[in-house]
Amino acid sequence: MVMNRRSFLKVSTGASGSLLVSMALPGCAGIQTGYEPDTGKWRPDAWLELTADDEVFFTLARVEMGQGTYTGLTTLIAEELDIQPDRINLRFAPVGADYQNPLYKLQLTGGSTSIATSWEPLRMAGAKTRKMLMKAAARVWNVNEAECRASEGRVIHPNGIDFMAYGKLVELAAKEDVRGDAVLKPMSDWKYIGKHRGKLDARAKSTGTAVYGIDVDLPGMVYGVVSRSPRRGGRVEKVNSDQVRAMTGVLDVFEIERGVVVVADKYWRARKAQDALEVDWDFSDAVSVSTDDVFDSYRTAADDDPGESERSEGSFASAVEMGDRVVDAEYAQPYLAHATLEPMNATAWYREHRMEVWAPTQAPDLGRIAAARATDLGPDDITINTTFLGGGFGRRLTQDYIEEAAAVAYRIRRPVKVIWSREEDTRHDLYRPAMLHRMKASLSGSELTGWHHQIVGPQILDWYVRNAAPAQYPWAPKFMYDTLGTIGLMAEGIATPKDISAIEGAIEYPYRVANIDIRHTHTDPGIPITWWRSVGYSHNGFAVETFMDELAHETGEDPYQFRRRLISHEPRHLEVLERAVRLGGWQSPVPQGRARGLALFRSFGTYVAQVVEAGIENGAVRVYKVTCSVDCGQVVNPRIVEDQIEGGVLFGLTAALYGEITLENGEVQQSNFHDYPLMRQYERPEVVVDIVESNESPTGVGEPGVPPVIPALGNALFALTGKRQRSLPLKAHV
Amino acid sequence: MAVNLTVNGDERLLDIDGDTPLLWVLRDELGLKGTKFGCGAGLCGACTVHLNGQPVRSCSTPVELASGGQVVTIEGLSDGDRLHALQDAWIEHGVPQCGYCQSGQIMSAVHLLANNPTPSRGEIVAAMTGNLCRCGTYSRIIAAVESVVVSNTSDSSQGREA
Repeated sequence: MVMNRRSFLKVSTGASGSLLVSMALPGCAGIQTGYEPDTGKWRPDAWLELTADDEVFFTLARVEMGQGTYTGLTTLIAEELDIQPDRINLRFAPVGADYQNPLYKLQLTGGSTSIATSWEPLRMAGAKTRKMLMKAAARVWNVNEAECRASEGRVIHPNGIDFMAYGKLVELAAKEDVRGDAVLKPMSDWKYIGKHRGKLDARAKSTGTAVYGIDVDLPGMVYGVVSRSPRRGGRVEKVNSDQVRAMTGVLDVFEIERGVVVVADKYWRARKAQDALEVDWDFSDAVSVSTDDVFDSYRTAADDDPGESERSEGSFASAVEMGDRVVDAEYAQPYLAHATLEPMNATAWYREHRMEVWAPTQAPDLGRIAAARATDLGPDDITINTTFLGGGFGRRLTQDYIEEAAAVAYRIRRPVKVIWSREEDTRHDLYRPAMLHRMKASLSGSELTGWHHQIVGPQILDWYVRNAAPAQYPWAPKFMYDTLGTIGLMAEGIATPKDISAIEGAIEYPYRVANIDIRHTHTDPGIPITWWRSVGYSHNGFAVETFMDELAHETGEDPYQFRRRLISHEPRHLEVLERAVRLGGWQSPVPQGRARGLALFRSFGTYVAQVVEAGIENGAVRVYKVTCSVDCGQVVNPRIVEDQIEGGVLFGLTAALYGEITLENGEVQQSNFHDYPLMRQYERPEVVVDIVESNESPTGVGEPGVPPVIPALGNALFALTGKRQRSLPLKAHV
Repeated sequence: MAVNLTVNGDERLLDIDGDTPLLWVLRDELGLKGTKFGCGAGLCGACTVHLNGQPVRSCSTPVELASGGQVVTIEGLSDGDRLHALQDAWIEHGVPQCGYCQSGQIMSAVHLLANNPTPSRGEIVAAMTGNLCRCGTYSRIIAAVESVVVSNTSDSSQGREA
């Protein structure tokens, strides 16, 4: 169904292709460790450490950026180990093959995959360790292990009275062999999964004690700030370094690849010195496009190139021929910034040919590559320490901020923290790409007979491969890094996964239509892009679900009935649709001055339907209520699922109402929250999250709340005003 | 310049550039990292602390203007393991997601309840609107504040001092 656009490369990349395949490391191989008699520590696998002092440590390999891995993954271990989740101490994982995300063969947290990919391995790790503890206890008591049980960190004797704490058993348990013996608990025995509503990091985050990247403190630490070219690709031509170097507290002023660095003893002095910095930029190789140019180039590309076929069923052309009319629409979506509340920052310390980095990063193994690039060091000389992340949303998958900090530390040779200002964070972000969508549908009477979707824009792997490919080969010599990137792109879809960042959510078009043609016209205007919460789904969701709404109105059918009729073969879609419609009062009268809009969209394996109730108040769009029905399989922590969906809704509404990064002659026009606003408390709609009870394996919840709310709001505004808005952000008056 | 501050009850004498924002003095000179840097322009509220009983954006408050003043930060709300009622409510309601804005959110809420122990929903929303949360924890924030308001209400109905 999905055509491989680069299949012609198969032969030419044969040799390197095998190299790539051989790198497919097992995602959850255990470290061969055991009990350390000196310390009383037992590490049954890469994740767990139990001590003779009855402490349990869990190494968290998916970073905590607000999406709840800290609690969710701990709950998985706790359930099978049979210990209260809040008795487990957490450590953030170092870089290590055991901690890779098996879907990406990289140690990254993204794609709403943490629960889904940890569901089996982490529970099995807990179950194996519990089994070993129980066998050890049975041996001590000389009873049948099957008659013992584990509960709250203890093994309980068959008599139901005697017990032994896990700590007492670690030395013996380490010797037990349970290969193949461990079995997962039946669902009916779960104590924490689906029931635990606490958040293990809530206390630290409510008392100011959680340590984020920006909070890292080292002895003798100094502060760095970087002046970067206002246009991507600009180079420093002249800078008044000597003048600035003479300022109070300034330790050094120097150039790195990305710009001019000022290092001072205090952050504020570095900033003041930066204000005095006068840099002349050479823009001869710099980006010079404006936003209008980007969309013009997209339209030209779309006219010239119908694009690679990504899904084709039946014949759209014959559907058009046989049908009685064709409806078309063009949708445009802007660049979007991530605006994590913690700005980019990283701390690095170079000494004795080793570098240590502390950073809020979603991909520490890529961070190591980034630091290696900026120095003469190899990845093995670099340690990455991960902290709590003050938001991620995909931004911290790209390691430019670590690369800068490493370059600064390599020169300064003392601990240095590089902090971005909000303005720098906004202007030098890597954005959700601006995209263009051309939609066509053929209708025969009220029947939808053909669906044509042309997606126009860049794909993210082109930007991401630079550090991702070398991170898969940490032993590769550094001169190979760029070659590996090139090979990675050539092998995309063959030896490495196909990049679906531009087309995800479009190719899975779920409605029952006989003739489908989905294409991607690949064009890249050279503006840096990266993953952004819900990635391709964020723009394809708007295109698909807005066009579905247009078609419903075209045929005169209720938008709910129209979808329902075409999705009746997909039970999980259907259920969330019907539930959202019922709970959201779709069929009940809407209060005066308001209207409702609907969208149904599956992303990251999770099914979401949303009903938005909106109006226009004092010249501004006002969202009153968003009802979400969600099927994400089994739920580990109901509160976190509710929070992630609601948070996704607000993230999506922020994009729908305000989100727009614009360029003027290559320069980003926005800088801070006054011109790149986020939804505030007073604008918050009531959000109702309804979770479908399910026995299916769990799927992600961090991102799926985002995509449907954007078209659902647009559809509500159409219902209210009769005017269709085909570009974002949405406006009160058009 | 010499700056004298009382921070969470402790008197501190500092030698610091007078134009340094209070935020960086708290974080880097006094090691109180609970107060966060978000925007540097008083737009997001992550750096909210109390200065002489008023909530201020410490990122935009030069330390020389705070000299001689009483500063309370998130670290000053608790007494050992005993937390402020709002902090307990934050934990009970599981408010934080990434958590980065929450020190500022809590400081705004503490100021609100100190001056108005039983605010209406509208008053809470108005008081909390200057604090951005990118994760979207707004509804949990309201629930947490209201849970403390309810206990304040029942306290006062029993004739106790709020």
